[in-house]
Amino acid sequence: MLSKSQARLFFIGGTCFFSAIFLGLTFHTLGQVDARQNLDLLTAEVARGKEIWDSNNCMGCHTILGEGAYYAPELTQVVKRRGKEWISIFLRDPQAMFPGKRRMVQYDFSDEQIGDVIAFLDWIGKIDTNGFPPEPDLAMAPSLVVQASAQTSAPPAYFQQVCIACHSVGGTGGSVGPALDGVGSRLTAPELDRWLADPPAVKPGTAMPNLNLPDATRAELVNWLSGLR
Amino acid sequence: MKFKSQRVAYLFFATSLLLFSLQIVYGFIMGFAHLGFDVLHDVIPFNVARTTHLNLLVVWLLSGFMGATYFIVPEEADRELYSEKLAVVQWAALVIVGVIAIIGFHLNYWEGRKFLEIPRPLDYLVVVDVLLFLFNVGMTAWNGKRFTTTGSVLLVGLVAAALLYLPGMITFESQVLDSYFRWWVVHLWVEGVWELIMGGILSFLLIKLTGVDREVIEKWLYVIVGFTFLSGILGTGHHYYYIGTPEYWLLVGGVFSALEPLAFLGMALYAVTMARRGGMSHPNRIALFWTVGCGIMSFVGAGFLGFAHTLPQVNLWTHGTIITAMHGHMAFWGAYAMLVLAIISYTMPLMTGRKLFTGWVPEWAFWTSNIGMLGMTGAFAVAGIAQVYMERKIGMDFLAVQEAIEVHFGGVLLAACLLTLGIAMFIWNFIQYGLPKEEAMAAEHLRHAA
Repeated sequence: MLSKSQARLFFIGGTCFFSAIFLGLTFHTLGQVDARQNLDLLTAEVARGKEIWDSNNCMGCHTILGEGAYYAPELTQVVKRRGKEWISIFLRDPQAMFPGKRRMVQYDFSDEQIGDVIAFLDWIGKIDTNGFPPEPDLAMAPSLVVQASAQTSAPPAYFQQVCIACHSVGGTGGSVGPALDGVGSRLTAPELDRWLADPPAVKPGTAMPNLNLPDATRAELVNWLSGLR
Repeated sequence: MKFKSQRVAYLFFATSLLLFSLQIVYGFIMGFAHLGFDVLHDVIPFNVARTTHLNLLVVWLLSGFMGATYFIVPEEADRELYSEKLAVVQWAALVIVGVIAIIGFHLNYWEGRKFLEIPRPLDYLVVVDVLLFLFNVGMTAWNGKRFTTTGSVLLVGLVAAALLYLPGMITFESQVLDSYFRWWVVHLWVEGVWELIMGGILSFLLIKLTGVDREVIEKWLYVIVGFTFLSGILGTGHHYYYIGTPEYWLLVGGVFSALEPLAFLGMALYAVTMARRGGMSHPNRIALFWTVGCGIMSFVGAGFLGFAHTLPQVNLWTHGTIITAMHGHMAFWGAYAMLVLAIISYTMPLMTGRKLFTGWVPEWAFWTSNIGMLGMTGAFAVAGIAQVYMERKIGMDFLAVQEAIEVHFGGVLLAACLLTLGIAMFIWNFIQYGLPKEEAMAAEHLRHAA
């Protein structure tokens, strides 16, 4: 039967042995990790972004690399998912983007700070994470019936980066605002233009914020939306 | 209580229970926010509530461990504490650091690093505080008449925990390395050296409560903590799956964290077997309940529920979801919260000389709080599984999923009410015991003389 001194030897020996392996693997990992995290892309901007990320405890609600809290979205691939344009609009006034929904603290970041945060998140998204977060493997394809009602020409870049977060077309997109299928047959081009210029002025209390669109972008959007019949 | 200075443990236990109550309050704030009522958003936004909830947990457990150590080490060394005054100073320092940290969190003064949110200047104060503590108990052991395995394992655990706090104080520009070394603290604490502390305290309680021969209990203590490190050190790999570290961590982390439940199974078998061997005849039955319960629930929460999502094939989908909260609640409750409640239940009659361990209050405190925690874990599990399928597998929008699983937080809150009721009864019992008394010591001496 096992004696106490044998048990002690098992504890001390095992601990030393596995600590040594752990230190060895750590040493090896430190050699590998620079390439996997693209150290050459870790600019001063990215470092400042991390500083902002840490000092405001963003991990207290969000996760990155799957680490943090579970109250707000996973942000590892957020730049790929939302685009830089959308994130910078969102960060200026987080509550305007999802009115009446779960709230984020209004941090009043400067444009430069927003750029830093986005640079940090962009860098995070490029790390080789062994496949995390995974692509949904049970995702349903949008139905053909809905697709048929959509425009045939490709949507403007701005639409795909920003509008899509709240509105859907052809079954893809957000559900905060109404689906835009057929909006071109419900509203005329001047009506669409007036709406996009300042939604709260047209309909006080609307959930849609004034996005301060440049004239060219607004014209492009109106043109494309009018084609959704 | 054999030595007068052991009474200093009371200060730490009272602090523990106070902070635990506060932790529950912040838990409710978060539960309501998840349910859609973030009414305190402008004053206590979610990240403040969350950070306060986590750090209160860490501090109340540490305070409980310190109290336990101040009680156990004199007994194992068979002498008074090196300095009772120093222990009081150390307690005051701990409280001051804690209060500053908690207030700081509400003023956006923190580091956004999960579990290690205490800002850097305060980290240095923590180090000083822990050194004071280790010096005091270390000197007691050093000058002691004897030193036992139980005491040594406890002290080795405490020293190692202090050393492992240091990697968390290094600054990194890279999120990957930041995360890598953050887990040296967090993982190697709760799934490593804290288990030594847990083993030491459990062993002390089992020796006292079961009357089984010390040699037998301490032999198995070595085996269990041996398994802890055999699996737990390389088990750190389960935090290195997806943070930018090489792929071999999937294998290393998977294999060794799959072995981690063995250490907790050991703890459970250890507690149950020794209690049965002792015949469950100790008059302080409720302390034995908490001790055996700690062994069993730590296996359920830390061992079984940890295993449920630790394999990389599973973790790829569940990483960073409410599944983690499900495991976390039960694991900390079973392994560490119940341990502190066990040592409090055992020591209070000895420190105060009052035998308030019979009757329905302490017993209902045990059952109600445990059933409450099981209920919370169940509700978190349902919410987490639903989240994983909707958000990760089907690809639904985050907020849409959160609205769909909102209802389960109603379940979490209802179960949390039961837990709160149980803890309230425990605290009521604690208050009824009153303060430590010197007569309690005299009574003990008489008993030993007889």
